[in-house]
Amino acid sequence: MAQSVKPISSPVPVAWYPSLAVLMLAVGLFITASFFIYEATSSRKNRSLAKELVTGAMASVFLGFGSLFLLLASGVYV
Amino acid sequence: MSSFRFDLILILIFTIHFAPALSDLVISKLDRRIDLSSQIVRMTLTLKVENTGTDPVSEVSLAFPEHQANNLALLVAVSTKGKGKSRGSATNLPIKIKQPNDSPPSLIWYAASLPKELGKGESLNMDVLAVFTHMLRPFPEKITQAESQLFLFQESAHFTSPYNVKVQSLTVKLPSENVESYTKLENTKFSGSEVKYGPYENLPALSYTPVIIHFPSNTPFAVAKELVREIEISHWGNVQVTEHYNLIHGGAQSTGEFSRLDFQARPHLRGASAFRNLIAMLPPRAHSIYYRDAIGNISTSNIYGDSSKTLLEIEPRYPMFGGWKTSFTIGYGLPLQDYLFQLGGARFLNITFGSPMNDVLVENLTLKVVLPEGSRDISVSVPFPVKQSQETKISHLDIAGRPTIVVEKVNVVPEHNQYFQVHYKFSNLSLLTEPLMLICGFFSLFVACIIYMHADFTISKSSSSYLAKLQWDEVQGTIQQFQDIINRCLLIHDKLEVSLRELSRNGDVQACKAVRKSADSLLKDYSKESKPLLAILQSSPQAAHILPKVEELIVKEKDLQEKIMLKHTMVVDSYEKKSTGRDFENRVASIQQKISALRQEVDDLLEFIEDV
Repeated sequence: MAQSVKPISSPVPVAWYPSLAVLMLAVGLFITASFFIYEATSSRKNRSLAKELVTGAMASVFLGFGSLFLLLASGVYV
Repeated sequence: MSSFRFDLILILIFTIHFAPALSDLVISKLDRRIDLSSQIVRMTLTLKVENTGTDPVSEVSLAFPEHQANNLALLVAVSTKGKGKSRGSATNLPIKIKQPNDSPPSLIWYAASLPKELGKGESLNMDVLAVFTHMLRPFPEKITQAESQLFLFQESAHFTSPYNVKVQSLTVKLPSENVESYTKLENTKFSGSEVKYGPYENLPALSYTPVIIHFPSNTPFAVAKELVREIEISHWGNVQVTEHYNLIHGGAQSTGEFSRLDFQARPHLRGASAFRNLIAMLPPRAHSIYYRDAIGNISTSNIYGDSSKTLLEIEPRYPMFGGWKTSFTIGYGLPLQDYLFQLGGARFLNITFGSPMNDVLVENLTLKVVLPEGSRDISVSVPFPVKQSQETKISHLDIAGRPTIVVEKVNVVPEHNQYFQVHYKFSNLSLLTEPLMLICGFFSLFVACIIYMHADFTISKSSSSYLAKLQWDEVQGTIQQFQDIINRCLLIHDKLEVSLRELSRNGDVQACKAVRKSADSLLKDYSKESKPLLAILQSSPQAAHILPKVEELIVKEKDLQEKIMLKHTMVVDSYEKKSTGRDFENRVASIQQKISALRQEVDDLLEFIEDV
């Protein structure tokens, strides 16, 4: 055969799934906590929409990846 | 039975009158070996074909009676050139059904095309494997628990060959050393567990001599009426195989009552015809294996794994007697890199087709291959004829559904458990749609929270409590900004202290003076900022109870500022003039005391304001 046949595996090593899940979820929950603290302590005058959106976006990225790796680590190969 | 006999008579008549209009091939030696040791009948023919005519021949035909051909599950022919030590390599011959126009009606012909034409005078060795299902008939058809099964096998001692055969023999291998009865022709021998018919010499083409063998057999007759095998590929690293079985015992039907006591006390006497367990050969590195049915998990199973296979031994909930049915599901996961490969721009899956169970005949096999969402250009290549179709399956985190290939085949025997390929194209970026969906989900929650905090849902915008709340919000905002400024001032005080300590360490007066200058300018800015805030607080009625404390805080902070500046100036001057004296030390110490007292009060006030 002119071309070689290569086996395909997952882009992230499967052994890392549980650790990655815990790590990403922890970071995501941390940022979620800071988002809610900012919401609770800031007054209407001082709130900045940009800071809220950025914090929300970062938190949702980490939470999204964390929940994906959590699903993969628990055997639901989505 | 009667229609069967009619066919035989027809064939007998036609062998006398029929002259095959075929080429002049002659089979110089034919050895047939029929293996009856399981429910699937396997016939191996070893023949040596000679071309005695003048024309070169490109195919060799085989003929089977219709009742056998209808049960034919697999027909494979292999040819080797040369004999003995100079045996050439074996080549698989493609076979197709080819019915000559003048053949008797109850014969089906198969033609194996040769890779190279057989010239005049040449000879060729061929090995043919024919696998038949449902060829053994239980006789008696109904037995009790204590009896063992007896089967009837009908065959012809002379192979219905389209060509004249010089020498042929037939060996029938039985599962045990007992035989109930067998047709005794000339040259018949029964030794060990084999019945040997032959050798017969110089037989014309299509000769047929029926023989019947009646023998006992208690090998497991597991027939899967329906098997649905689902293979789901996930590019995150797993191939999940789920198999749903509908099993029946295909041997003699069981009548009378079933006595569990007898069965457990003497299983070999009362229950010889039953089978208790099934063995499946799963691939190595199979994980998360489960075995359950509609009731729940079945715990009577064992797994023995090593580096070349994983052996799964399962026991259904009850022993299987003739005619009894059971249905269960087996599932296992396999690592992706053993089965999915990349070739150029496309990917292909290489996996086995049939059931991993040993010696189970599957009457209807439905194989579904579920590919991940976003796969395109899907094609399947199976080494034998099957029926294909495509559908969609909706599973976790799917938008449109996953493309599924459905392959169906009837009468699948363990010899069909070969590798087949599914080719498709998939770009790795499509893998990101799944986390993207989750991220969007979480982000929508955050956006909802932000909207809730920003939106004003009060019904009456002019009620007094609403207006009071608005004012209180403004006061809170102002106080927060104020707190911010005070904290920054305190930071600057700390910086000045640090600069004094640096001075005492390395004596750099210029740096100290520079810090003092910047601190001065910053403090001026802060006091300017705090003026409008103070004005707002003074004008709003809500801040009435806070205002005195805030003003007190401002006064104290100013006081603190002055004292710190004084101390700073004193220390710097003393360094410049290099004068140290007892009372100088005392003065610095007293100022320091006042500074720390003031600092404490400022901190207390800040705490009080924060708690409001």
